[in-house]
Amino acid sequence: MARMGMVFDLKACIGCNACVIACKQENSLPNGVFFTKTLSEEYGVFPMANRVFIPTICNHCEDAPCEKVCPTGATYTREDGIVMVDDDKCIGCSSCSVACPYDQRTQMEESDFLKGLFGNGEITPFEEDGYGRYTPGTVTKCDFCSQRVDVGLDPACVVTCPTNARIFGDLDDVHSAPSKMIRERHGRPPLPEKNTKPKVFYVN
Amino acid sequence: MATEKSKGQPTANSLKSGHWVASSCKMCLHSCGNLIHVTDDGIINKIEGNPTNPSNNGKLCPKGNAAIMRHYDPARFKQPMRRTNPEKGTGVDPMWEPISWEEALDITAKEIKKSLDEDPRKILPSLEDFQKFNIWAWPLAFGNFNFYQSGGTMCGGAYHPINGFIHSAFGCANDAKYCNYWINNGTGDGFSSHLHAAAQANWVAKARTERNMRVVSIEPRLSIGSAKAEEWIPIRPATDRHFAMGMSHVMINEGLCDYKFLKRDTNSPYLVGEDGLFIRDENRQCYIWDAQNDCAKLWSDKSIGKIALEGNYEIDGKACRPAFQVYKDILEECTPEAMSEITTVPAETIRRIAREFAEAAQVGATMKLEDGRTVPFRPAGYNYYRGAQGHKHGAQTNHAFKLVNMLMGNIDAPGGHMGVVLDTKEVDINHCVPGESGMLTPTPHQLGPTPPFAYPPNTYHLMDYFPLGVHPPHFNLLVHDDPAHFGVEFTPDVIVNCHSNPVWAMQGPRTKWFDFLRSMRFIVCVDIIPTEMTDWADIILPSSDVLETWNCTMIEPPHTEGQSFRQPAVPPLHDTKSEEEIFYEISERMGILEAYNNVVNLTLGFEGHPELMLELDKKYTDKEIAERKGKLWNGKDIEWYMERGHSVTEKRLDKWYRPWEGSRLHFYIEDMLVERNKLKQQMEDANVPFRHEWEWDDYQPLPSTTLDPVHEEPPEYNLYAITFKDIQINFGESLSNPWLKDIVYRDPVHTGLLLNPKTAAAQGLEQGSIVLVESPYGHVYGRINVSEGMHPETLGISNALSRMKSKDSGVLPAGGHFNDMLPYDLRNTDAATGQPETVCKVKITKLDDWPEFLKDGHTVYDLIAKNESAKGKGGQH
Repeated sequence: MARMGMVFDLKACIGCNACVIACKQENSLPNGVFFTKTLSEEYGVFPMANRVFIPTICNHCEDAPCEKVCPTGATYTREDGIVMVDDDKCIGCSSCSVACPYDQRTQMEESDFLKGLFGNGEITPFEEDGYGRYTPGTVTKCDFCSQRVDVGLDPACVVTCPTNARIFGDLDDVHSAPSKMIRERHGRPPLPEKNTKPKVFYVN
Repeated sequence: MATEKSKGQPTANSLKSGHWVASSCKMCLHSCGNLIHVTDDGIINKIEGNPTNPSNNGKLCPKGNAAIMRHYDPARFKQPMRRTNPEKGTGVDPMWEPISWEEALDITAKEIKKSLDEDPRKILPSLEDFQKFNIWAWPLAFGNFNFYQSGGTMCGGAYHPINGFIHSAFGCANDAKYCNYWINNGTGDGFSSHLHAAAQANWVAKARTERNMRVVSIEPRLSIGSAKAEEWIPIRPATDRHFAMGMSHVMINEGLCDYKFLKRDTNSPYLVGEDGLFIRDENRQCYIWDAQNDCAKLWSDKSIGKIALEGNYEIDGKACRPAFQVYKDILEECTPEAMSEITTVPAETIRRIAREFAEAAQVGATMKLEDGRTVPFRPAGYNYYRGAQGHKHGAQTNHAFKLVNMLMGNIDAPGGHMGVVLDTKEVDINHCVPGESGMLTPTPHQLGPTPPFAYPPNTYHLMDYFPLGVHPPHFNLLVHDDPAHFGVEFTPDVIVNCHSNPVWAMQGPRTKWFDFLRSMRFIVCVDIIPTEMTDWADIILPSSDVLETWNCTMIEPPHTEGQSFRQPAVPPLHDTKSEEEIFYEISERMGILEAYNNVVNLTLGFEGHPELMLELDKKYTDKEIAERKGKLWNGKDIEWYMERGHSVTEKRLDKWYRPWEGSRLHFYIEDMLVERNKLKQQMEDANVPFRHEWEWDDYQPLPSTTLDPVHEEPPEYNLYAITFKDIQINFGESLSNPWLKDIVYRDPVHTGLLLNPKTAAAQGLEQGSIVLVESPYGHVYGRINVSEGMHPETLGISNALSRMKSKDSGVLPAGGHFNDMLPYDLRNTDAATGQPETVCKVKITKLDDWPEFLKDGHTVYDLIAKNESAKGKGGQH
């Protein structure tokens, strides 16, 4: 069975946030809610200063702390390794949000939706079309666009990335693009000391 | 809110039952190919890049990803409207009253016609739809050359004319396909802005990751491009020309140039007399010095033994030098040490970059192209744009950058520095035409015809005096201050505005621009959403948006050609019309329909194609125009385009690499002097009273080291201030869009005024200090964000902090507008091209608190505070 994962190429990423907006589009996210983010951090001292852009996303950990603490089994791992949340089972206790060392989980609140994207309470047809998938009070996160994956498509953030900084595929397939990249460019998981076995890696 | 889920049905937007429409983007002025997903219920719920388009290769920038939010913006203009509040102002409610299209068009046409009948010069067009030149060119239907839009000043006032001189093209870029050493000077090309941002980012990323292309970025601020570059070279603002001249000094003095190219492909060997003009024979043919036979020979003389690039000679007792020698003499003082004093870049760095660049250029190498030609292979390019070129001496500055490239022989060579045409159909109408004396015909007027000399002037922005330049729209304000001084005998009283926001985009204080707008009798705005400008309209004519209309265009693509096709994904949401319908209706009512069709036939290239020519007495829809443009490109009918969404292919090699083969390029731009002398004489003959104020020294055939006047402001203004955009706010309107707003105001470069921490400390400032920033011309308020990524002499102000409150718009003010602090006078405008200075000197005063008008809880800074206090939303910034 496949083990889906993602590699972020930090050399390629320009921090443009096209991925973030593609994700908002695909998932009809309210303002302030992000399933992926691209962080920007300045370092060094002038004139040797620089800035690094770091994409972040749910790491779909193999030893997912969120899954372990979930009291209802709402968080589960698919056979292909994608960590999911079943909002029918989620009781919104937020244990998972606390357990996630990467701060990748969001408890959806009714008010997130009611304000509307334009902040004036007007709900656009786009929002009407898309908000139905969410149950306020439950916790959500990136699911690697699992429905797209099911039909053989890459996640929305991956297909739009202008610089091909997001590489998605089966980590169990040694010939897959992400496997190759992790091998050749010494991919590293985020916060390895947390021992969560992320399926997301960074290369530089 | 619906909470019921349809079990078993996909919830991911792109997978919902529906269909995809192949179309093109217009979230900036370029035209990346996209695919628009429409659900069975007719909702547009996803836009992706079109992977069959070799320009953007299926990629989209953040703006392209955010087009849906413009489409569904509740603030969109939903029907024609008339103002009922006589008081006008940005942020003042016009108290719109819906009216019918008939009534709105009748009123609009009647009001414009009133001015047309009195004096056509009283009409002030402000038409910025860069994807529809048929709309842009509308004023030509009544011989009007006025211009009240930002294109030209904050874009490439000097950039376009110099590209026209050197490449006979509108834009320029490095060739990402082969380049190995990419210099970016004051530009975000390949990273964050300019030509087809998503496409160029894709091409450049491939070059960087697959070929290890080295990027060197020279600019005062650590932009995205600088952050990704192998080397960031911070530079004092408005000294980029001096950096380039320092590099050129090294290249020439160390013999690193492509002398074969200079001798064969440029006019650099042509002999220049003491008056700066080429020495010519009675047939106006130029001379070259034959060093072998020690005599001058006509450029075309096959018996020339050895072309001299250097030396001082005499012809008939008249002293002369090859143009190359003239530049060498100018560069003599441009040692890296001397240029270091001006630029603050260490001399050793200037020297090293020059050598690295020359080495990477592989002078002497060739490449055999698939079309059979063997051409110079020069995988190094010096690219630049707004930040570097937008200065008083813009023409000289652009020219200095071009000359760095020319010295390497990389102009339009694989891997080198390329001319990029505006609309790719230009390549098929011979944009490169052999000109006089073996030289390429220069085309400095890339945006259509310019008015002939006239005094009194026929334009309100003095375009009558820019034979080589782009429109200087900021001069509308200069003339408005004192029309008599410039002999202007008419007063514009009607503004026809379409997708243009000049009250936001132009330099000079807003308060003065507001006075300018108050002087108008009638303003009509054709637009989609409210802006600072539409608050001033008397009539709103709502246009359909990019997802509801037809078009066919291609705007300056760096590697491809063809047409990007636009088609409606859905019918208009509201009672709106396309720009074509609106301008045809107005034209018919004004009685200028035939003249307008003539203009469109000429502008879009239908002239000479009987099957495409518009009939003069007919009105055409956007679809009918798009259909013709598609056919003009490749003969394919509209169904072909509707299926594919574009006809984009990689550029044909003969149109991309050295399309001017056989002509010599203008190393030395003699036309600068020719046109200066002509204009001087015309002004003299017409006794133009302000001719002595005209900045005649700005017309130079080669760059000089003259400092831009911004460096000579009073010493109390002890910092430079620059403004910038990034890819999220590239080109026009972005921040009414909630998705873009949600990313921009979480990025520290857009949430405060950027200042080096050491500079901040020296001025008693710290992170979060609220400040007043004053230039000699205007001021803004803001909050300091300290950043090590700033040149210590420079304050950086994001364009995301420049908006004004306008009725019903989601944009947020942030304490003023950088452009308020820029001058709009002759002294700070390049007389050769109309390019104004875009940097200013400022002083900073620390305040205890925000001024009252910024305390209403609805500023950018309030939003930032709100964002910062929200926790647990998927990762921390």
